Amino acid sequence: MKILSVACAFLIVVTQSWAQKETQLPKDLPAYGPERPLSAPSVKISKLDNGLTVWLVSEPGFPKVAFSIALHGGLAADPSDRPGLSQLLGNTIDQGTKTLNAKQIAQQLQAAGGDLGVSPGKDSTILSITVLSSKRDDALTILSDLVRNATFPDEEVALAKRNALNELRQQESQPSFLAGRAMAKVLFGDHPYHVTSATEQSINASTPEDLRKIYADRFRPDQALLVAVGDFEEDGMLSAVKSRFAEWKAPSSAPVKVPAETSSAPQHAIYIVPRPGSVQTTLELGSFGPLRNAEDYEAARVANAIFGGTFGSRLTRNIREDKGYTYSPFATLQTYQAAGLQITRADVRNAVTAPSLNEMFYELNRMVTTSPTDVELNTAKRYLVGIEAIQLQSRASVAGELARLWVNGLTPDAIGTYGKKVAATTAADVDIAAKKYFPAAKVAVVAVGEEKVVRDALAPFGLPLQDVP
Amino acid sequence: MKKLSNGLTIVVSEDHSAPTFGICVSYGIGFRLEPEGRTGFAHLFEHLMFEGTPNSPKGVLDRVIEGGGGANNGDTRYDYTEYIETAPISALDPVLWIEADRMKTLDFSPKNLDNQRNVVEEEVRVNVLNQPYGLFFAIDLPGKAFDTYPNAHNFYGDFKDLDSAKIEDVKAFYEKYYTPGNAVMAVVGDVKPEEVFAKVEKYFGQIPSRSTPPRPKVDEPPQKAERRSSETDKLARVPGLAIGYRMPPRKSGDALAGAVAGELLHNGQASRLYQALVKDKQVALSVDGGVNWPLGTPYEYAGPTLMTSFIVYPPNVTEDQVLAAYDGALKDLAENGPTQQDLDRIVAKMRSDRYANLEIPINRASALSHAVLFDGSFDSVYQVPDELSKITAAQVKAFAAKYLVSTNRTIINRTPAAAVAGKEKGAGQ
Repeated sequence: MKILSVACAFLIVVTQSWAQKETQLPKDLPAYGPERPLSAPSVKISKLDNGLTVWLVSEPGFPKVAFSIALHGGLAADPSDRPGLSQLLGNTIDQGTKTLNAKQIAQQLQAAGGDLGVSPGKDSTILSITVLSSKRDDALTILSDLVRNATFPDEEVALAKRNALNELRQQESQPSFLAGRAMAKVLFGDHPYHVTSATEQSINASTPEDLRKIYADRFRPDQALLVAVGDFEEDGMLSAVKSRFAEWKAPSSAPVKVPAETSSAPQHAIYIVPRPGSVQTTLELGSFGPLRNAEDYEAARVANAIFGGTFGSRLTRNIREDKGYTYSPFATLQTYQAAGLQITRADVRNAVTAPSLNEMFYELNRMVTTSPTDVELNTAKRYLVGIEAIQLQSRASVAGELARLWVNGLTPDAIGTYGKKVAATTAADVDIAAKKYFPAAKVAVVAVGEEKVVRDALAPFGLPLQDVP
Repeated sequence: MKKLSNGLTIVVSEDHSAPTFGICVSYGIGFRLEPEGRTGFAHLFEHLMFEGTPNSPKGVLDRVIEGGGGANNGDTRYDYTEYIETAPISALDPVLWIEADRMKTLDFSPKNLDNQRNVVEEEVRVNVLNQPYGLFFAIDLPGKAFDTYPNAHNFYGDFKDLDSAKIEDVKAFYEKYYTPGNAVMAVVGDVKPEEVFAKVEKYFGQIPSRSTPPRPKVDEPPQKAERRSSETDKLARVPGLAIGYRMPPRKSGDALAGAVAGELLHNGQASRLYQALVKDKQVALSVDGGVNWPLGTPYEYAGPTLMTSFIVYPPNVTEDQVLAAYDGALKDLAENGPTQQDLDRIVAKMRSDRYANLEIPINRASALSHAVLFDGSFDSVYQVPDELSKITAAQVKAFAAKYLVSTNRTIINRTPAAAVAGKEKGAGQ
């Protein structure tokens, strides 16, 4: 009981000492000018006879075209005895097709001016590349080859497996990787979303046949989207796509299933990940948040921005700008098809592990108890609307955002409606979202660091100190 | 481009593809010129530029820029310190006002200095001390490759130096280097040049001019022999190797051929080092690098720099095996040069990468402002793609034969601390 009362006393003292004042604006600071509304990208939507969805955005200017191809099915759809298989697929899909070897593929993509990115997510796999517009047909030809004719040559898979084992060792030396992996296990338990990476065991067990099987199941036109954004005429681009993708056939097998929705609150406990030699503790706090298509998604985004999503946010002003505990605190909402998360993180020097967690809890709870001021609300709303326009300045990011919308079951007009919903969010909306998603009692805490430092620092909180399941 | 009577230079580039803008104010002060005994000071100072002024207290800057729908940041590099913002066009006036305000004076507050000293030390912990490899290819490698303080010291700063920085140092640094004549501002986006020039005259025109000290020499005595050393790493679990070759000055005739050689060796899976080390010999997990990597581009440096390779390799492979494969790839380039196909491919990729960078207003503003700061002209920003197309295979071959030689390089092998006891010692030394 003594331990608990220490923690309470601590909390009260800090609460009284930290009162944020609203900054006053200088008198001669000029006002914002008139708004010039962002026009959402104009997307031409088509569907080929084989079921392939095509979204085209014609944007003259720099001689570049960005492509994304999204396919349903990712880490959550991997066989349960092959966790992380999608990552190995991502590393080997460009290592050979029926007509090209790995070096030829790499050289042809370089000649087109692009780097192929393959992102295996929980729900999807997204291939993306940005090329010179003069080389766009070459790039389309290779993309078509990769999604239809990848062969996963035995020797390339063997090399990729060896490198994946060492890469896993390397990742396991990074605190951010350890924190993210532990948090997914804590929040998702046995749900397929608990997988963030392959394991030594699954890498060793994976075979080229495993890869060919999930490739055949997932890489199919009726479960795929092709996005192109850039310097082209829509009609010409559509026929270029058709001539390379129309022959792509869907298999008769059933498409990948979306996992069951999940949002059951985790145990309010502290999970310790020992990392010998750490000079900082990485504190990651996680709870469930809204789905991307939820009614309160935008209100939760506003709440998150006020809480910890900006330099001017409550959390950053407190633990960085007032106390100097950390360099890069942040809070973010992550959305998957069947779950949404609210994640808060800060890397703090060992000596301030306990006070940092205390302030993070305090600021979470202050979201619940203290409505945003007008300045906080307006700043957060304008920030979110403006930053969306900023993020969509490059063709590659427009293509990537459209692909993510499609994965989440949304249409291109979500880009326009998001800003409108953010702008219409009221303080009452934020309060409701904050009460639902931000109470400190709803979060699980992952602490990566020197074990003794973490245990000694966090024991006084009186929460269960546990190993990661 | 325009110069105010107080010496501030402004560059404007119109881009009406979105109702947004990007802005970059670069000052001609970076790691190289920070005082001895004050390692890390240029970067610590950068943090204090966000901590308010007598006219605009701490917190106003973030509130104005984020409340304007935008984002802001700062970067310190060897030859400049830049302050960058991007926002919807409606925030242009307040953002210009903020930049002008912090060009006049700062709130020289010991409390804010203490706070940002803590923040910077956390930044060093999160990026260096608590990370495997600890950026040794960016901090330790120049430390071994160069002999003089400006180029060789730890730019992030030793904690004892950071701890001993005083508010008087902050004032003196500001007075000396943060003058209108030592700054170049670029604005890119949905603007008209004449409008921007008028606004800049209005907000910045009254700032008095101050003298800027002449830039000292930062040249290095020539390197005569290969330098090799080894380090242990208590956090890494897989060994890493960093190799740095001294590069010619950016304005020399060899520099652009060097940029092409650097990309031929390092750019993506088609690169010669990836193909040789990861695929053919299978002695490495990854290869990164290039000229002036990782803290800049091959087109932006104003003092000694390196072509750096950072290689992560499997624990069952030796440093010598990695080096043998590496040397084979370099020897091939020096003896045979690239084929015309190799050259065409990499130049297409470099042009494409360049356009991708210039597409974003805030990045184009950075490139324009650095070019004017270094050269007094922004022509090079737009000439690079064409100049790259003129580089010949013979030039790349000659470059490799002249510069990519062992007497011109420095090597650091970094191995996991736990593994050292049971294994052979690192080669060299």
